[in-house]
Amino acid sequence: MQNNGKIKITINNQSYDVENKLTILHATQQNDIFIPHLCFHPELSPYGGCRLCIVEVDGVKGYPTACTTQVKDGMTIRTHSKILQEMRTEILQLILSEHPSACLICDEAEECSDYQGTIRKVGFTTGCRWCPKDKDCELQKVVEYLKIDEIEFPVYYRNLPVEKKDPFFDRDYNLCIYCGRCVRICHEHRKSSIISLNNRGRYSTIGPAFNQSHLDANCEFCGACVSVCPTGTLSEKTKKWSGIPEKYNSSICSLCGLNCDIQILTKENKVIGTLPLGDPHLTGGELCVKGRFCLIELVNNPDRILEPQYQFPEGLGFITWEEAFLKASDKLKKADGNKVAVYLSPNLTLEEIVAAKQFAQQVIKTINITSSVLTNNLIPYISLAEKSISIEKIEKSESIISLFLNGNYNYAPVTLAIKRAAEKGIPYLQIGWINDTTSRFASHHLTPETGKEKEFVKEIVESFEKGKEVSPEISEVMKLFKDSSSTIILGPTILDLTEAKEILRNIEKIIKLTGSKLFVLNPYGNLPGLLSSVDLKPHQDILDKISKGKIDSLYLIGDSPFKKRPNVNFIIHQSPFPPSEKLKPDLILPTATWSEISGTYVTLTDKRKKLKAVVKTSEKVLSNSAIFAKLAKKLGKQELKFNKKELSKLIPKKLTIKLPEFNSKPKKNIVQIKTRAFPYTLIQEKNLYTYMGMYLNQLIEGLREIEPEETLIINPIDASKFDIQNGDNVMLKSHKISKKYPVVLRKTISPGFIRLITSNKTFEFETNPCPVKIRRVNV
Amino acid sequence: MEITNVAEVVDECIQKNGNTLIPVLQDIQSHYNYLPEEIFDEVSQKMNIPLIDVYGVATFYKSFSLTPKGKHIITVCMGTACHVRGGQRIAERIARELEIEPGETTSDMNFTLETVNCLGCCAIGPIIMIDGEYYGQMTIQKAISLLNEYKAKLKEEEADDSSKS
Ligand code: SF4
Ligand code: SF4
Ligand code: SF4
Ligand code: FES
Ligand code: FES
Repeated sequence: MQNNGKIKITINNQSYDVENKLTILHATQQNDIFIPHLCFHPELSPYGGCRLCIVEVDGVKGYPTACTTQVKDGMTIRTHSKILQEMRTEILQLILSEHPSACLICDEAEECSDYQGTIRKVGFTTGCRWCPKDKDCELQKVVEYLKIDEIEFPVYYRNLPVEKKDPFFDRDYNLCIYCGRCVRICHEHRKSSIISLNNRGRYSTIGPAFNQSHLDANCEFCGACVSVCPTGTLSEKTKKWSGIPEKYNSSICSLCGLNCDIQILTKENKVIGTLPLGDPHLTGGELCVKGRFCLIELVNNPDRILEPQYQFPEGLGFITWEEAFLKASDKLKKADGNKVAVYLSPNLTLEEIVAAKQFAQQVIKTINITSSVLTNNLIPYISLAEKSISIEKIEKSESIISLFLNGNYNYAPVTLAIKRAAEKGIPYLQIGWINDTTSRFASHHLTPETGKEKEFVKEIVESFEKGKEVSPEISEVMKLFKDSSSTIILGPTILDLTEAKEILRNIEKIIKLTGSKLFVLNPYGNLPGLLSSVDLKPHQDILDKISKGKIDSLYLIGDSPFKKRPNVNFIIHQSPFPPSEKLKPDLILPTATWSEISGTYVTLTDKRKKLKAVVKTSEKVLSNSAIFAKLAKKLGKQELKFNKKELSKLIPKKLTIKLPEFNSKPKKNIVQIKTRAFPYTLIQEKNLYTYMGMYLNQLIEGLREIEPEETLIINPIDASKFDIQNGDNVMLKSHKISKKYPVVLRKTISPGFIRLITSNKTFEFETNPCPVKIRRVNV
Repeated sequence: MEITNVAEVVDECIQKNGNTLIPVLQDIQSHYNYLPEEIFDEVSQKMNIPLIDVYGVATFYKSFSLTPKGKHIITVCMGTACHVRGGQRIAERIARELEIEPGETTSDMNFTLETVNCLGCCAIGPIIMIDGEYYGQMTIQKAISLLNEYKAKLKEEEADDSSKS
């Protein structure tokens, strides 16, 4: 009997109207009937692996699994008969016979927990009390539900080594119940396909092909597998011994311009982890490694500064805030406002930015406000970004072209949108030398000829303007543009290219000519907020003024552009993190940051995103606004208000990015093309993983491993030609420069290309890209 | 052993079988006698299947091997029917004769010994299979003499080879 698409079924003698096409398990869940399950995940394909959800269905032979069986009209189902519960008990015992389960069936399990003080941090897990998932484990819950108190089968310990070498999460497959949730979330939801169930039966293992490390297998370290693991097999290094969070607080990630929604897990006034939105045990989410694993390492970083410090003649020393305010106001009182430069980080909240602006303009009385990210290449890049579409529109385009996208450890919501779109059949073309998580989905992957990147885009423009004949490669691109309304995804690697400005200019033309849409990836958390609230000076202008002596004092607010002290009278370094060693600021003021303050970020499409304060800092760390308020008062400007209400009045209602004109003379850039003598192409990249002026990889070891600096990243195919192994030293030679570097092998870089990431302000090699040759150095 | 012509072999097998992974892997295996590591990236890229899926399939099925196999493959059935009629003892004896464990290959690369759980013709068990040929109603005696026949054949071939060169 059908009524509005619903069918009638009977469960345990009671009849229900349910939607057609549901599984029995879904139907029971919708009607609050509990059937135990372990491998089931509501958003993943049914698997039928754990067999705990078996039911009886009239007219069906055997005991079908509820998670894989669809309801049919008139079906009669029993979910809790005696035989089912007996069988479930037996099935669960079989699972437990290969799972360290002493604590699960121990009479004194409870008492043991109470008396166990500190011995939890063990190398491997022999029972629940020594497991990172204790009290938060789905297996424990099912054992409790089925009231198991003995295991009738011989028990077996797999004795597999615990895998701890990869960054961010550990894996102890002795605890694995082969539910396949990690594998399915990696394939189906994240579309990364890094791990699988390998081998068979007793010898089954979970992991990448050929026992590769996750790193070598291009794992994105998105942590989706860790979130959905029902057991303690997969555990976050930073969170594994923190226990169950007290609270899940919603907030955002501040580590790139996408400002993903996240939940911050807190316990005893401490951040113990971050997760994407959704049920903490089920959410695959759309975060990248930074949002999932790095934020916690930032706020809890042992390098954070926690007390004000002053540079005494005999060296750096701690002072009280009272003394700090005195010293700061003293210096600022004497300073000539026009000669003070204020630096702002793009990671500050809108409220902090307008507070700093008010302080700079009305207390210090300076117009020299800048940010070190505002380089001459960033300006045309961000000015393009004004046309950026919202992220939801990416999937709706008719074709997608990514330009210089490196999405493996970045911009996950965008890469996921691309992958989903391509899976639906939308043509996706990738241009660049990176082999990232989207590459497998690209119908074409084009790499412009070395040194001819500008010509590549120019050819497209000219073909449109003058109908010029083009190479077959480019005609592929032209076809997409002509046949469909495309979206161009622009990645910030372009900023590092010698001819960035010319390329950007041509991209702008392409957009005008083709009517394509654009999505610009912004690497800096609240850059749009910064640019729309303050009239910034280009960083180069400020640097010029410093070198000419027209600026003699620096007030650095979360920005830390100098590796060593420039020639100025005094420097205030106000930040959550310490200054670089040779900066030697006169005054160091520690500030509260992400998770400790609330505020607003704004995206390129003017979405306001709320950052929430979820923990309190010690009283020795103050918020930026509190510092400005105190100093303003000391400098006789008590009428200026720095409280939340007043500050929010200063925040622009609408996002209008204001970019300075840059008047530096254009340099004559000479690019070089690849030749027989220099057959490889070096791509130099500035490290874009920053927060409050810090390079994340300086603070976070895991990031250092996945994106190593001052190290050549080369494709294994190229490496094998020179018999180069991970960690070997290689001499890199261009026309002008030769330098020795260690090497890591990664499939993320296309063969023929070499990546070199640096946090230096200038590049070592003469052009970018740069034709080079390599030679192994024997040590 | 050097693995050559990976690209050509993989191309050919894909052309023959279309985009179905298992037959492609079967053909590659019959070409190289096993699935060398070198072919995996090639197959993954050309068939647009994630590497891990190719690997997962290759390690799931017993008939695929990721290590080189001997010239002759001896498969002893250990399914229930064969087991109760002495399959286990036959396997043990052959293992002793070849001085290898099931799953291993002799160092001269002549024989690989494998066990499976049911070859699908239980009625004539215990069964052993050599290079795809079934031999039913096995006894230890029969198995040893079969093995000797193969050894003798190998000797002849060797002699032929050396006289040629
Ligand atoms: S971290 Fe993400 S990409 Fe890596 S294995 Fe887990 S789900 Fe897959
Ligand atoms: S690692 Fe965890 S999620 Fe993956 S199969 Fe094992 S128990 Fe399941
Ligand atoms: S994509 Fe950006 S906002 Fe999202 S988690 Fe990663 S760094 Fe954070
Ligand atoms: S939940 Fe149905 S078989 Fe595991
Ligand atoms: S048990 Fe040996 S063939 Fe079936």
